[in-house]
Amino acid sequence: MILLEINWTNALNITLLGFGIVFVVLCLLILLLYIFGKVMTPKVRVPKAVRTPKGAKVEISDDTEFHKVQLPANASAAIAMALHLYYSDVHDQDSHVITIKKVERRYSPWSAKIYGINNLVR
Amino acid sequence: MKKVIIMRHLKYLLLIVASIVTFSMPLAAQKEVLPIDSSEVIAVNPDSVAVSATEAPMEANINVGDSLVEFLDGTGFAMIARNWKILVMLLISFLLLYLAIVKKFEPLLLLPIAFGMMLTNLPGAGLFTPDLFANGTVHWEQFAHAGLLDYLYLGVKLGIYPCLIFIGVGAMTDFGPLIANPKSLLLGAAAQIGIFATYLGAIALGFLPHEAASIGIIGGADGPTAIFLTSKLAPELLGPIAVAAYSYMALVPVIQPPIMRALTTKKERAITMKQLRSVSKAEKIVFPIMVAVIVSLLLPAAAPLIGCLMLGNLMRESGVVERLSKTVQNELMNITTIFLGITVGATATADAFLNMKTLMILGMGIIAFGFGSAGGVLLAKFMNLFSKDKINPLIGSAGVSAVPMAARVSQVVGQEENPGNFLLMHAMGPNVAGVIGSAVAAGILLSMLG
Repeated sequence: MILLEINWTNALNITLLGFGIVFVVLCLLILLLYIFGKVMTPKVRVPKAVRTPKGAKVEISDDTEFHKVQLPANASAAIAMALHLYYSDVHDQDSHVITIKKVERRYSPWSAKIYGINNLVR
Repeated sequence: MKKVIIMRHLKYLLLIVASIVTFSMPLAAQKEVLPIDSSEVIAVNPDSVAVSATEAPMEANINVGDSLVEFLDGTGFAMIARNWKILVMLLISFLLLYLAIVKKFEPLLLLPIAFGMMLTNLPGAGLFTPDLFANGTVHWEQFAHAGLLDYLYLGVKLGIYPCLIFIGVGAMTDFGPLIANPKSLLLGAAAQIGIFATYLGAIALGFLPHEAASIGIIGGADGPTAIFLTSKLAPELLGPIAVAAYSYMALVPVIQPPIMRALTTKKERAITMKQLRSVSKAEKIVFPIMVAVIVSLLLPAAAPLIGCLMLGNLMRESGVVERLSKTVQNELMNITTIFLGITVGATATADAFLNMKTLMILGMGIIAFGFGSAGGVLLAKFMNLFSKDKINPLIGSAGVSAVPMAARVSQVVGQEENPGNFLLMHAMGPNVAGVIGSAVAAGILLSMLG
């Protein structure tokens, strides 16, 4: 009986209209994001032709090795990680001497040898 | 002469005391006979406490036994003895504290909610007065008698806390996966079916439309959005709805996997997706501005939530206000979470919580989550019929917000079939799309029913 008393027309209208509007709004955002992506994606310009050291012009087609290069995901991840470490200064600058740390001793009268020696003399 | 005057004054004083005692006796007897309503017990007027305190010295002549009985009668223990519902509420708050501390169910929010629930159900303390917010309006004229939690609750009632939390959520969210794969927004939209299906279910159970909408929003799996909408549409249901929303969000790893497995084949679960394209900084900066403007113009009711979400994200992506970004991610978010948790818990008084409606809300909440998860998975399968680059349907379930828990569930279930499959970043797209989708759905319901 309760079910019959409910205004189902209103309830269904709100449901369909509401769900429909969610879809429409998000579809509009999808459209904008696609346009946005086309305009703003950084483009890598591939030259249509290159000159050899001898000066000869070589056309680059889709079959050229240049176009077939595609890094596997693991390699991309490793490069990205390395770049991240490099730019955020997490990684040390390798000096090829990894067991000895360079220690810069700055001059200070408190630790200067000359004063130490003088003190001992006294 | 002086002695006579003093004696006369003493006589009058005794007369006054005797008359007060004579008049108060039948009243006290009446009070004992009348069953005490739990709302009276909880919402003790501080003024009446103050008056009785000032009268206390005048009743000093009453014998020790009576005073002791009166004192014991005024303690919280006696009030609990008169109203069993208070004891049940305290036990529920202890259970929630146990779940938060021992089981670690969304402890950041469940712990303050449970403690707020405990505080509000301490009889006689008068920390929270539901009457101040009766009929969906704030009765400012009665705020002279407000308790601590009444003042803090204004942040929920006026919709301040959910928006502040959304600034923090925005500052912690990376929309990169969504920008890289805009189709994710469709999965986020499909998962909102949980909200609208539950709305219909709640209507069928006899809830009023505004109550049904508040129950349905649990399906969005977004705590701040659920609190925002419920505080506007059905504040009397805030306690049960918040508890249901946060409890089920904590249970996402339990609720979702069976639904995901039931709706997909082994082959579908093993689908490896194409690597996402890189997203430039400029795109990440323009995205929040664009979304805030477009969604707010289309749905002004969603502007507070979407605007705050995108403000936080712009702070993060612009990189010029690092201090502000860190503050909204940490200090502001944490402080607001404490206030939000305690005050939402405080609305769970015995009268508001211990009824059939709460049980129905808890039941409908789990259905909402289930429908939402299923909606995303099914749309992903449908999209696979037409799309060249196959989508792993498991990422569809992440369309219910619950960031980042739902995305992690997609990753874990996906790796069960194919250990070399990394779905996390792909699932983050629908996951953050779900946040936008649920805020949009809340705005729609608010504009239609508010």
